[in-house]
Order: sequence, then C-alpha cells, then structure tokens
Amino acid sequence: MDFRFSEEQEFFRNQVRDAVDRLVRPRIAEIDRRAEFPRDLWDEFAKLGYFGLRHPAAHGGLDADTVTSMIFFEELARGSCGFFMAVTAQMLMGTYFVGRFGSPAIRQRVLEPAIRGEKIGAICFTESQSGSDLAGVRTTATRDGDGWVLHGTKEWITNGPICDFATVLATTDPRAGLKGLSFFLVERDTPGFSRGQKIEKLGARGSVTGEVVLDHVRVPAENLLGEPGQGARYLTDILNQVRVMTGLAACSIADEALRDAREYAKRREAFGKPISEYQLIREKFGRCWARREAARTLLYRVAWMIDAGLECQREAMAAKWVATEMCLEAVDEATRIYAGNGFTPEYPAERFFRDARFLLSGGGTHEVLLDYLGRTYLRQ
Amino acid sequence: MKIVVLVKQIPDPEARVAVGADGGPAALQVEDRWCTSFFDEVALEAALGLRQRHGGEVVAVTAGGGKAVDALRRALAFGADRVAQLDDPALAGADGLGVAAALAAFVRREPPDLVLAGRQALDDEAGVVGPAVAERLDWPHAADAVALEADPAARRIRVERTVDGGREVLELPLPALITAQKGLATPRVPQVTGVMKAMRAKIDRLDLAALGLSPADVAPRTAVLGYRPPPSRKPVRMIEADFPENVRTLAALLCDEAKVLG
Repeated sequence: MDFRFSEEQEFFRNQVRDAVDRLVRPRIAEIDRRAEFPRDLWDEFAKLGYFGLRHPAAHGGLDADTVTSMIFFEELARGSCGFFMAVTAQMLMGTYFVGRFGSPAIRQRVLEPAIRGEKIGAICFTESQSGSDLAGVRTTATRDGDGWVLHGTKEWITNGPICDFATVLATTDPRAGLKGLSFFLVERDTPGFSRGQKIEKLGARGSVTGEVVLDHVRVPAENLLGEPGQGARYLTDILNQVRVMTGLAACSIADEALRDAREYAKRREAFGKPISEYQLIREKFGRCWARREAARTLLYRVAWMIDAGLECQREAMAAKWVATEMCLEAVDEATRIYAGNGFTPEYPAERFFRDARFLLSGGGTHEVLLDYLGRTYLRQ
Repeated sequence: MKIVVLVKQIPDPEARVAVGADGGPAALQVEDRWCTSFFDEVALEAALGLRQRHGGEVVAVTAGGGKAVDALRRALAFGADRVAQLDDPALAGADGLGVAAALAAFVRREPPDLVLAGRQALDDEAGVVGPAVAERLDWPHAADAVALEADPAARRIRVERTVDGGREVLELPLPALITAQKGLATPRVPQVTGVMKAMRAKIDRLDLAALGLSPADVAPRTAVLGYRPPPSRKPVRMIEADFPENVRTLAALLCDEAKVLG
C-alpha cells in the first residue's frame, strides 16, 4: 500500500497550480464581485487544453485517468469557485454523454469545439419538482416520426443562460419512473429551445445558473444519447466522479479558508498576544485540519477505486458528504477567527463561507445521500 | 541553431522559510514547495523564440537530483526538444563553481551555438553559475539581456541590456553564453498536452563519470558556515485616534521615533 502521489502526478499538480495561480487567482475577488461569467478567462484557460482531460484521445481528448483529473479539479477549485463550477460543468457532465454516445458528426460539431472552449455545454437534470429525486423528472421526450419532441423546463442549470448545447434528461416513458429516463442533445439554435435569466446566487458567483426551457423542441433520432430508458443507469457511471470532484472542491475551499485564517490569527492580537496563541483558536485549526486530511484521503481512495474499476457508489457518497460537511465547518470556523472582519468582503473569509454552501446540493443533497447510506447499511 | 538552456528547480518563492535555533549550516528549513527559477523560464522562453525564428533545437539541462527533475519536465512542457539531468552524489554538496564545472562539461559534449541561463537563481541569488560556465568554456558572455537578435549565418548575436539611462547594445560571436533578465521574454503557461507529454517523458541522467569529471572537479571551494534569520520587526502599532489627531500622532512618531521626517 502506497498513499503517495507519483513524481509525475506531483509534477502535473504543480503545473495546474501554476496555471491557476497565474490566470485565475488574481481575479477571484473581481469575478465574485461582478457575478458574471468571465468569458475572457474561459477562453484563455481553454487554450491550455484542460477541457479535454477526461475524453478519449480518439475524440480529441487526453485520456487522463480519474486520479489525474481529480488533481486538476482540486487545484482548479483553489481559484474562483464560480469559475470552477463553470469549467467542471463543461468538462464532466456537460460533455460526457455527448462524447460517449454522440455520433461522429455530433462529436465533430459539438464535442470538439467544446473541448476547445468555443462552445459551452450544460447538463440539465433539475426541475422545480425534481433534483436528487430523478424519478420526479417531468420533461417529456415523445417520439415524432424519426425524431423526438422534448417539452419541459429545467432549473438550476449551471452554464444554462450561456450554453450553446445542453444534455437534457427527459422521460421517454413516464410510467416507468427511473427506468423511463433518457438523455438527449439539444443545440442552442433548435426552435423552441431558450435560455432563461441567470439566478442571483449567494456563492460561486463566477458561474451563471438559470433556466433552460424546451418548448416542443424537435430533435433528430441521433440526438438520443445512448439507449432509451437507460439514462439513470448511465448517470451512475459518472456520479461517482462528480461526487469526488465536489468533495475535492470542498477540501480546496476549506484549505484556502484555513490558510488565510491561519495568517490572520498570527497577525491579530488580543489581550497582548496573537490570537493564534490561544488554545481555543488552536483547537479550531487542529480539528479542521484533521478532518480535511481524513476527507481528502477518502476522496483520493475513491478516485483510485474508480480507476481500478471497483464498485464505489457508497464510498463516493460518503466521501462527498464527509468532505462537504468538513468544509462547511472549516469556513464557519474561519469566519469566527476573523470575528467582525469575517462579516465583510474586505477579507476573503466571507467569500469562502458563501462559496461552500454551493457544494451542498451538487451530487445529491446530504439528506438523500445519508438516507441511502443508512438504508443500504441496514439491509446488510 | 542549437541552444542549451541552464535551468534550476528552487523552493517556491512563497514557500515558508525559517532558520533553526542552532543557526548552523543545516539550519535552513524550507517548506516542500518547488518551482523553476523565474529567470531560467525567461531564458527558456527566449530560446524557444529563437528556435521559432531560426529553427534548430533547444536542450534544457539541470544539475542536481530529487526535485531538480521537475525543472526539466517543466522545460519539456514548455516545448524543449531534449533535456538532461546531471545527477551525482558529489553534486549534492557542490557550490556555484562546482555546478558550473559539471554544466560546462555537458555543454562541451553537445556543443551548442548558444547557451542561455537566468541572470540568477531566485533562491540563493548568487548569480555565479552562468558567467562561471562561460569562463570554463572560454566563451564570450553577456549578462542581463533584455533583447536578443541572432544571426546564425554570420555566427553573431546582438544583445541589449538595460543600463542606467537607457540600453547598451552588444555584439558577440557565437558560440556565447547569455544570461536573461526580466523582459527578455514572458514565460508561457504550458498547455496540458505538453504537461502530459512531460509527465510521461523518461529523463536522461548523466553522472560525473559520463561527463568525464571526477568528484574533485566539482568539490566546493566555499563553505556555508551557518544561517541567521532577518532581524525581527517591531510590532505594528495602531493609532486609534480620529482624524486629525491620528495624522498628528503619526507625524510625531515619524519625526521622533522613526526619525524619517525632519
């Protein structure tokens, strides 16, 4: 058993960190303040080629394994949380099914420009009555000659207001519940497809999130991605990755918040000495660091399990929950260390506090995850 | 045009550095974060620019084991054609002149039209190795270049350096060694295709014997006796009074205590 990253993985991490340090980090506060999608940064970052990391070489990607990809996601999350959300929506969910099931023509028209960053993708699951409960999806896809007609409204779509194409989850058999779900590619210029206004968000403000409306949108047969009725099954193939990625973002946000608070605690004096010299402050750092180490170790173990082809659905759920709860605790403690200064945008602590909340629902709400983990544990 | 670039992996400028209590030669404690020295990246970028204009080959070389290899992987990610790691136990304790002896031996094996190096490494900031390699090779050398214009056919290179009040323009015959100053080129953020190629690259290692050297050739002639921390700064004093009393207090402190105002 060897828990170390290889020399090559460490090198890769340093290169990603360098790119994030030079391109993203100088703009974190500005991106958060403007609450707009930073298209210029997107274009600049896309030129580096990372958007193709997870795709096979045959599709113009780089065929990176899960651990390598997770190193990328972890380092990217040290920059702007909003930019991270926009990029991961493109790299993982927004293009995954297009790459896996798209015809050569679709891959050429949609996937290749997406890998180059020229087209922006979105994944559309969520609706007003359906989030973690996928069986509640009400968007329908009905056969129409040799094509399909999609009708419904998707909500809380990352990149939705700016997307050039969307992978839409719709029911092709409303009576079949989860077994009636299917994925479709819908491109922006298709009649009936429209993008809503962006939602004002508490955190992750560099990504734009909003509605995608499908008003009797007709798509050709080749836009059905995979087999009809297999959508939920396909989704499980990628949800483990999404959960590890979300958990590692939580680790990075916690790490940044704690480092920042550490330097503040060393500087800020109370009753004649730096507050870092008080036991109650040291306990916060000790507890948060220990929990972060535990979460990160579990997350990379799950990434390794994915690469090894091992079943890890429960472990991925557990890791996402452990990491995100740890992050919420760490950013909370960071604002406490800052006291009044943690309540103002003059210092970054409040931004970490806001951004961390965005991780709660991605990859399944914690209520749904824990219920599933408890239910499956009791069945044993 | 064949160009050898000398590169060095150094502790990240943001790594925490502390001096241990005994202040001895082993007292320097540096956080385990590394990067390639900035001026070496400037030199590498300039070399790649020359290759683009004149064709040829860029070879990056470093002296040292362990993390030093990452400077070479970084050079490959930038687009260097080949790299070499000079790795020998005797080099671990070498000083600037010893490192220069090993690098000069490597350059002789190649031999290139031009050697580029950073003006100084950002860790020890000694600025010795580049000029010492030129001296070992008995090549002309120009320091702190901010612009280069090569004429490979005429075997000459024009160098611009910043001097007080303007720029000095020099011309050197090739082969020559030139050290890079900020402004000569802007180091790129490497593309992921280059990064992944560099990750998988097998790095050639050369020991002193392969360079035709013995440990005595790189033995240090300077000895590090110890390290001393910088003098601790006085604690920050906050002036709590409101305007204009706070300005009066500050002015009084600057005159009477800091003695920076008359």
